[in-house]
Amino acid sequence: MIGSMNKSRTLGILAILLLAVAIAPSAQSYPTGISGAQDGGCSCHGQTPSTEVVASLEGLPSELEAGATYTLNITFTGGPSYNDNANPAALGGFHLWVSDGVLAPVDEMVQLNSDGSVTHTGTDKADTGMGNDQRNWTVEWTAPMDGGAKFILHVNSVNGDQTNGGDMWGKLTADVGPQPAEQASGLTVLASAILLMVVITLSCILWVFYRQDPGAFAWERFWPWFSDYITSTDHKKVGTLYMVNGLFFLGVGGLFALIFRVQLAVPGNDFLTQDEYNQFFTMHGTTMIFLAAMPMIAGFANWIVPLQIGAQDLALPRLNALAFWLNPAAALLLFSGIFSGQGADTGWTGYAPYIVSHTAHSGATLWVAGQILIVASSTVSGINFMTTFCTMRAPGMGWMHMPLFSWSMLIATLMLFISIPAFGIGLIQVLLDRTIGTVFYEVAAGGDPLLWSHLFWYFGHPEVYVVVLPAFGVISEVLSTSARRTIFGYKSMVFALAGIGIVGFIVYGHHMFTSGMSPVLRFVTMLTTMLVAVPTGIKIFNWLQTMHGGSLVYRTHTLWALGFLVTFTLGGISGMYFPAVAMDLHLHETYFVVAHFHYVFVGGIIFGLYSGIYYWFPKATGRMMNEKVGILHFMTGFISYNLIFWPMHRLGIQGQARRQHTYFITTDEYFALPPEAADWNMLITIAAFMFFASNLILVYNMISSGLRGQKAPSDPWGGWSMEWLVSSPPPTPSHDPSNLPVLEFAEIHGDSEPGFFGKMIQWMMIPEDGEDGGEEE
Amino acid sequence: MGEHGHHTILGFDRYAFNFWVLMIFTAIEVVAVALTFSMKGTVSMNTVVFILVAVGIVKGVGIAAIFMHLQGDPDSRVLTATALFPVFFIVVMVLFIGLTHPDAADTLPAWCRPGYYN
Amino acid sequence: MSYGGHDDHHHDHQHSHWGPHDWDHGHGGAPHNSWAPIMIAFGSSLFLLGFTKVFTQTWDDEADLWTYAIHSSQIGLLIAGLAIFSAGITVFWRQDWSHSGSFEPKAVGTPFRTIDIRKVAIWMFLMSEMMVFSSLFSTYIRYRTGFDNCVSLFESSIEPGSTVVLEAGQQCWLPASYFIAEGGYHQANAHAALGFMPDTLIPGAINTFALIVSSYTIVLALKTAKDTTLSDAERNSKVGKYLSITLFLATLFLTFKLIEWFVGFEIGDKGDWYHFYAPSLSADHFTIHESEYTYCHLYDEAAHACTPGNEAIFDIRMSASTFYVTTGTHGVHVFGGMVALAYMVLKAFRGGYTPQNAVSIEYFGLYWHFVDLVWVLVFPAFYLY
Repeated sequence: MIGSMNKSRTLGILAILLLAVAIAPSAQSYPTGISGAQDGGCSCHGQTPSTEVVASLEGLPSELEAGATYTLNITFTGGPSYNDNANPAALGGFHLWVSDGVLAPVDEMVQLNSDGSVTHTGTDKADTGMGNDQRNWTVEWTAPMDGGAKFILHVNSVNGDQTNGGDMWGKLTADVGPQPAEQASGLTVLASAILLMVVITLSCILWVFYRQDPGAFAWERFWPWFSDYITSTDHKKVGTLYMVNGLFFLGVGGLFALIFRVQLAVPGNDFLTQDEYNQFFTMHGTTMIFLAAMPMIAGFANWIVPLQIGAQDLALPRLNALAFWLNPAAALLLFSGIFSGQGADTGWTGYAPYIVSHTAHSGATLWVAGQILIVASSTVSGINFMTTFCTMRAPGMGWMHMPLFSWSMLIATLMLFISIPAFGIGLIQVLLDRTIGTVFYEVAAGGDPLLWSHLFWYFGHPEVYVVVLPAFGVISEVLSTSARRTIFGYKSMVFALAGIGIVGFIVYGHHMFTSGMSPVLRFVTMLTTMLVAVPTGIKIFNWLQTMHGGSLVYRTHTLWALGFLVTFTLGGISGMYFPAVAMDLHLHETYFVVAHFHYVFVGGIIFGLYSGIYYWFPKATGRMMNEKVGILHFMTGFISYNLIFWPMHRLGIQGQARRQHTYFITTDEYFALPPEAADWNMLITIAAFMFFASNLILVYNMISSGLRGQKAPSDPWGGWSMEWLVSSPPPTPSHDPSNLPVLEFAEIHGDSEPGFFGKMIQWMMIPEDGEDGGEEE
Repeated sequence: MGEHGHHTILGFDRYAFNFWVLMIFTAIEVVAVALTFSMKGTVSMNTVVFILVAVGIVKGVGIAAIFMHLQGDPDSRVLTATALFPVFFIVVMVLFIGLTHPDAADTLPAWCRPGYYN
Repeated sequence: MSYGGHDDHHHDHQHSHWGPHDWDHGHGGAPHNSWAPIMIAFGSSLFLLGFTKVFTQTWDDEADLWTYAIHSSQIGLLIAGLAIFSAGITVFWRQDWSHSGSFEPKAVGTPFRTIDIRKVAIWMFLMSEMMVFSSLFSTYIRYRTGFDNCVSLFESSIEPGSTVVLEAGQQCWLPASYFIAEGGYHQANAHAALGFMPDTLIPGAINTFALIVSSYTIVLALKTAKDTTLSDAERNSKVGKYLSITLFLATLFLTFKLIEWFVGFEIGDKGDWYHFYAPSLSADHFTIHESEYTYCHLYDEAAHACTPGNEAIFDIRMSASTFYVTTGTHGVHVFGGMVALAYMVLKAFRGGYTPQNAVSIEYFGLYWHFVDLVWVLVFPAFYLY
């Protein structure tokens, strides 16, 4: 019953969408081909070119003849090579990069790099002769068949004492012929992409509003509908807001990753400057952890926990909404620096003393401020969830009767709100250091940078479990439902969760093995970190045993759960290299670490959450998701994901360092990366684009199934926990407050005789003859 | 809620009793410090620290048990357990963060340093 | 995700005992909407943005130093943020204004069975607060144990018969108690009136007693509010008075704290029996910015100068930073309590705290006692030791 009026509005929305796509500047990643050290200079000899050293490049024609070959003469004056060179034999070096055409060495003084640039020979320190002893060199350049070219020349005036210090750099750029249009900078690409995402998200919201009841569509109804969402304190609506927020920032974090994967696709690339690269990987980490993973987990918790434990809502609904709204408010601060090119460039760990130094961007201050709001949000939601778990479980549901997703959220929440104050205090100290001038991390005043690392990782490591435990919970639910049996070893699952919760607090030192912290602590955390593998292993084996004893139904959510088992186990195994101090010293800050934690974060958390999306989507929306599209999502996602991160193990062992804006394929013994590293990096970048695209399939599936999917029954999968008792979508309040569900067959999961902890709790309880005692049990 | 405040301690109202205990112990604190001040050199700092810690514990327990109703109410036991729950995490924090001396690597025993087993 | 604006409010219009003030204003158990969360969230975001604009340091490349400045022209954002935040809080409390204690939600499951949900929540909040102050104390302990004490550093550097040569700007720990409990180098001046203790300890000592008295008045307010033998008018006025006294004592606390930090006082003249002299900590150069503090080991009262050979230049910014931030965090908690107390005083005089609703005072009281308890630790650790 779509009237013509409404049709035209639909078209209008589509037109806005198309316009947005059209006006977004087209992102050209490297239109001029693969480049050399362009903006940052040669990273091996310090970064800023000196004005004292004057380079010159002779032999360039004023009118370019296509395809002709020119002989170029490179010289320089000034610097230590001219003044007081300790070793007259070592005079200088150069590096010449050109955007187009072919460079070729003329004699043995010059060599060709794998990226097409040329440099002097004799870079090997043992080989002191030849090209490194010159002040002028000759190369040949064959002009491209069409268009002009841009030259960037770096020259090095050597001081000759066989160290890198004391050398001076000069830089010269020259343009020949017609120049290509200005290429898009990384920031422009990012800004356009985020803008596009905002527009698409807003369009989706309008579309969803329109589609929910096309017959009654009227713009006057939009604002009441919309404001009802943004002021809502209903756990389901807040959960939806959390999910939208989380998925949006998952996309933004993915964009950061794509952009710097473009940068890393080939060696010596200059798509991003060093400065931009630092900001991008900082914001990638921050966005993914704090604005994507945590809100998505909170979204699940909001949606499912009250339903699952038989409560009508969360304990403190308004604070629940506050906890959500602090997230976008924090995002504003976290991102505010980056579009002026002054975003936080400290890494997501924000290590001191860099974060309090003047060289850190001014955006780092706002980043810290934003993180403080994230801390506030986590604290508020932690209090809320803890209170809900402790006080609002349905009659008859003892601790040992709670579904495992709720248990995992309970432990995760507990860890989060116990640990996050340490981070908050550290952030406040840093913020005050950066604003009013306290000296907590000022080394000149005796500040101890390790204190920040301690405070950060005291929170940061439990945080890892905070995000991964809910995924464990999802997997437990999904596997037991899909295997059509109860979870194997329920009690051991609970104790494994609790064990991770306790031990997780005394392992954080393994992030700091190379920092020079107390060796005793190093030893202690080495042992405890290895200990964490025990409860995790218990969980893995219980899942396997659950499937083994059951009869598995392969749904999309089951596939994601199986994928989780594979990738998380691999991530766990690569994780076992790090607690061993000696091994950790070797692998620290390499791509091996990147591979490990992405196997845990993406393969663990994101796969778990995807599984959860497919599992609970029918409950939340009342519509079944499209399984065919879902399987396509799983297949593309799982394969491209592994293509991204599996090669990183290899790259890490070969010595590719993380957090560096580029890398070189070189024969230099100090920085040796074999040529194959370039191929692996290119593969990773291509796979990253595939993975990003595969997630769009999910978004498409959610929207199209949410609107047109088959109607879902209240229990489509045959699940047993209480969320399947209510209709799909659930009513408000979620369970009838005057007729709460009662868990009657609680002994499925455990003995009815209280154990040690049960007796402890009974002793602590209010006596039965208390005011209202005994009414509920 | 359960019943509050109808208990007495030594015949006094429990809140009033606790109040005066706190006042007296705070006075002890100040006097202890005043002693070190006015009798400089005769009272050792260790004694003062001992007094401060002891008085601090008494005051803390007084506030928690009586003002915060962690004693005497039907829900006291479970709330005391709640209040004591973070103790483990606080101990870990103070041990790991507070008491790992920044220069710990320099103060290693000799058998832990390179060169000892040559 | 839910796409529907499901209107499911119709199915339950009866009052249930599950209708806490946070959820229920006649909607039959459905949580009501509120603008407060979004206002509070974006207000605090704006406030922090303004804060970083107002307090921005600039780096002086020549001197290799930070330059500290307050850019008061940028204060607009900060005030706007604060205004939105306060408006959000007002909206929040406006929704609570009518809460009379009916439909107080109670816990269902073990182990908190039959306890008010709000009480559990406030205890959960206090757990997280314990971790906040543990973090601050861990920082303090780490630096306190990691630094040399300035006085002992000076004494251990003295060689008999020689003038002391210490590296200028050496980092060491001069505890706040050096200025507060020992009167700094004004010791000789300090005990004109009291004799047994330095005048600089007066604000801290008064504050300690003020907090304890305020803890007592808040339990008296609770006790009165629960007293069914009183008439309504009598109870309202008494509860209001007790809460007002608590508010007054909290204000007194912060006032004395500011006096001790920034203002200082001198009553009478030297020689008078009523002569009190307590310079503020900032006047004594115990600040976070001054990297060169002139330490005087032996003050020559007659010459109004340090005895020659008894001076050293120390960098004591770290002890100042930990002192101001830790006690400042406590002060912020007191301020937060004051804001809540202001609301409660208003509500009390309008008859908001009946025996049925007295627990609201108890739950605020739990927070307030906790703040007192923290002071019990902060006071000896920072003021006395």
